[in-house]
Amino acid sequence: MMLEMFDYPFMQRAFIAGLMIAVLASIGGSFIVLRRYSLLSETLAHVSLVGVAIGLLLGYSPLWMAVLASLVAAWLIEYLRSVHGLYSDSVLAIFLSGSLALAIVIVSLAGSFNASLFSYLFGSILSVTNEDLWVMGIFGTVAMGLLLLFFKELYFIAFDEEVARASGLPVTLLNFMLVSVIALVIALSIRVVGTLLIGALMVIPPVAAIRFGMGFYPTTLLSIAIALVSVIVGLGASYLFSLPSGAAIVLFLLLFFIAALVINRR
Amino acid sequence: MKFSPPLFEVENLNFERQGNLVLKSATFTVLPGEYCAIIGPNGGGKTTLVRLLLGLEKPTSGSIKLFGVSQNRFKEWNRIGYVPQRSALVDTSFPATAREVVGMGRYSRRGIFGFESSEDKKAIEESMELMGVSDLSDRLIGSLSGGQRQRVMIARALASRPEVLIVDEPNTGVDVESQHRFYELLRRLNRVKNVSILFITHDVGVIAEDISRVLFVNQTLLSSQHPSDMLRCDEISRLYGTPAHLVCHNH
Repeated sequence: MMLEMFDYPFMQRAFIAGLMIAVLASIGGSFIVLRRYSLLSETLAHVSLVGVAIGLLLGYSPLWMAVLASLVAAWLIEYLRSVHGLYSDSVLAIFLSGSLALAIVIVSLAGSFNASLFSYLFGSILSVTNEDLWVMGIFGTVAMGLLLLFFKELYFIAFDEEVARASGLPVTLLNFMLVSVIALVIALSIRVVGTLLIGALMVIPPVAAIRFGMGFYPTTLLSIAIALVSVIVGLGASYLFSLPSGAAIVLFLLLFFIAALVINRR
Repeated sequence: MKFSPPLFEVENLNFERQGNLVLKSATFTVLPGEYCAIIGPNGGGKTTLVRLLLGLEKPTSGSIKLFGVSQNRFKEWNRIGYVPQRSALVDTSFPATAREVVGMGRYSRRGIFGFESSEDKKAIEESMELMGVSDLSDRLIGSLSGGQRQRVMIARALASRPEVLIVDEPNTGVDVESQHRFYELLRRLNRVKNVSILFITHDVGVIAEDISRVLFVNQTLLSSQHPSDMLRCDEISRLYGTPAHLVCHNH
């Protein structure tokens, strides 16, 4: 009975999108978790909602607009943090509530706080279109390429930014690159996981994997595995019980998190 | 023999932080092969001086040359190894093994696409052996003791095969016994491996007689190649601003 869901093209699309996001979010998430920057994902998710709102209002592709909004906000946040030396958590708090306010105003102006917005908040397996898959394929490949190319540099910076800088790495540039990649991944994930829930897909897999006390490479692989399994099982549950896909995925992530805590009691 | 320029040539270096003078017209030279101590009271500007040398802070005015090249044109940062002070304090759950941390020392020599080459492996293994941390390879960095972690951090700096090693306050929170072993280790690196060493300490007592140069930093800077002269109490009193009693450790 489970396998018949793959007969439906919408489920095939949801799975392609979901697996892509799982890999990207868990790798990108590792770096922001280790840098104590977890709230960045939450904030950019709210910002991409502004993009969605603008898209719905003006009739442009909400996904494209989300990518744009998320990228611009990521650069602004990184600029304020690194150049102006503002506290990163307060910058994030300002952007988080500010962008939510903006999104709500735009949607209210459009006069349609409708079901389509609901799917952007919590994810929906029915909503992934072929065009979405193309957009995700292009930006997802770029994001993945950057993460893999600069994997070891990003790791070095997460461990010891100062020494990375002293050893001649272009740390400021790489930091901007990392937040751009995070922004892309978050914007791309709004279809399947939803803006309110993507934070969990970025943060929980690495946090759970880190509990196992392994080196960075095995930790990253475990983190990818946790994300993939949660997405597969979550999408299945979403199909069987007509649940919003994002919520189902996050609940399975939570189970992994609790299991990781119980297995690695210290 | 090939002419080798000074490691560091600093002239008239001034540094202000938010309007406060931290370092005033510092001028000094450090030559290849030196074993050099930077001493001075806490808050006197020792760490700032090192950060300026490494390009982590921009001087208000003055010039810095590294290996004879003006700092803003200098590219070969892997010739300088840096072990910061807070390296003893690491996030205890950070997912990194000692081997992975030492491997970071090679990143600046590896290209973007580069996987670990056999030369990288050799450099990593050698520097771990040299620092006596080979048997800790697979241990998480957070599970090591302060002293072990310190040696891993130095192994990382050595893995890039630097010509000079800068070590900031190596012995914060380490017992006297391990302090002595630590300075012996630095000295051996300097003599046997011919790595120049610059280390910061606020503990004047550790200055051994075989230091090749002492830089006293307390806003102003005094450089001397005759540490024993410089260690006269009146000089130190002048720099610290209080009468000092020096305990000399001559081994």
